[in-house]
Amino acid sequence: MNILEIINLTHRFSNGAMGIENINLMVREGEFVVISGQNGSGKTTLLRHLNGLFLPTAGTVILDGISVSENVVRARQMVGMVFQDADSQIVGETVSEDVAFGPENLCLSRPEIKKRVSHALNAVGLASFADQRPHVLSGGEKRRLAIAGVLAMNPKILVFDEPFSNLDYPGVRQILKQILSLHEAGHTILLTTHDLEKVLGHANRLVIMKDGKIVRDGTPDQIVTDVETYGVRQPCASRLGMEIGSWLN
Amino acid sequence: MAELTVFGYRTGTSLLHILDSRFKLACLILISLASLKAYIPGLSLLILLLVFAIIHIRVSFISVLKEIQYFLILLTFVLIARALSTPGTPVIEFMGLTMTSQGLYDGILVCGRLGTVVLLGLIFVSTTRPSEIKAAVEWFLTPFPFIPAKRVATMISLVMRFIPTILNQAKETADAQRARGIENRKNPVYRLIKFTIPLMRRTFEDADKLIVAMEARCYSENRTDPELSSGKKDWIALLLVICLCILIL
Repeated sequence: MNILEIINLTHRFSNGAMGIENINLMVREGEFVVISGQNGSGKTTLLRHLNGLFLPTAGTVILDGISVSENVVRARQMVGMVFQDADSQIVGETVSEDVAFGPENLCLSRPEIKKRVSHALNAVGLASFADQRPHVLSGGEKRRLAIAGVLAMNPKILVFDEPFSNLDYPGVRQILKQILSLHEAGHTILLTTHDLEKVLGHANRLVIMKDGKIVRDGTPDQIVTDVETYGVRQPCASRLGMEIGSWLN
Repeated sequence: MAELTVFGYRTGTSLLHILDSRFKLACLILISLASLKAYIPGLSLLILLLVFAIIHIRVSFISVLKEIQYFLILLTFVLIARALSTPGTPVIEFMGLTMTSQGLYDGILVCGRLGTVVLLGLIFVSTTRPSEIKAAVEWFLTPFPFIPAKRVATMISLVMRFIPTILNQAKETADAQRARGIENRKNPVYRLIKFTIPLMRRTFEDADKLIVAMEARCYSENRTDPELSSGKKDWIALLLVICLCILIL
């Protein structure tokens, strides 16, 4: 069953520049989709339509049968978005307060908020940091906090915009492990990156974008050898004719 | 990681941290008003108490002095201006300028009053979460029919959220400019322009990112507010503050 249907989606910015054009994409529940493409290819613009941060110039985004434009709050609750810059996503003065921000916006009761905060912090392994100031966390921990912040809203789809940028090797492994455990828990994952090496071994599907359009869509094995045509580096293992391994091994 | 500023909430378990934010706000207003009417003996007592309070909430004095260094320069100018412009008994005469004892007294009084208000604000902000400040402001404004309490409270809490961010940005911008030899340029106007423009640009960019992240997490004015609960200790604190105000007047 498709949890996400993007039909003929076009977005033109207010200055007249074309962001994305005629995008069609169906995502099944539980899929792990990697969206790649060079800078300015429209990845982030596409993602921002999934929870109504951008509304389409033309076309529709349908989440579990209901259009995003029809009910933006539902879309934002259903699609948890983890931004590239974790610092800009942190709103709270303590870790637990930051996680509580989303549920508070949903006007949930205080006991329910506490329950969700505790659950989300346990899920990302930050329960012991609950009373810390977010700014003292490491890069990887901040990104896990950003994930906890969206998990507390009980989303079905998790969207990661360049989740590995500015992270060191242990940070990348932490986040990758977290994403995989969320996928195993049943979340649908959409992840944008231009560094396929780190994640492609775990994805079911690879979508390549160029100049605001989807130019390739298929399983990683089918597409990975062509990605350099579109300005994306082919993973090293694939270049050597080997299977793409996991960064967790 | 950006250095943390003292003008932001710091987690803690001190008495000032656990007092109800409405009582803290009321105490802040009462002491500020009293300090504006107080004279040197009362102000000295007040400043002594505030110094004890800063020790109690475990904020480093060096960081406080660093943070308010420009404010201290401003106070010095105020003191000099008052000392030179108030008629009275001359104390120092130099190159045709006369500093009077009345002027010095007035200058010290004004500086003491302004310094007290700043220290009070610092203690309040360091021990009260922005969400609690928002809830307290909203509580106080609700009885006034023509004031949009929620909107005003939201704006205040967002300003509180942004003060540390702006100060951090200012520090980073200044460091980056020093690294490129800005100190060799002696023209203060040139330096001010070169400092202000990138600082403003970065602050607005960060504000934009924060808005998008908040929207993605369903932010609205109607949300679950923190639970405000007052007890015996809050009333005792308020009573003590009223007694202190009477004493210093």
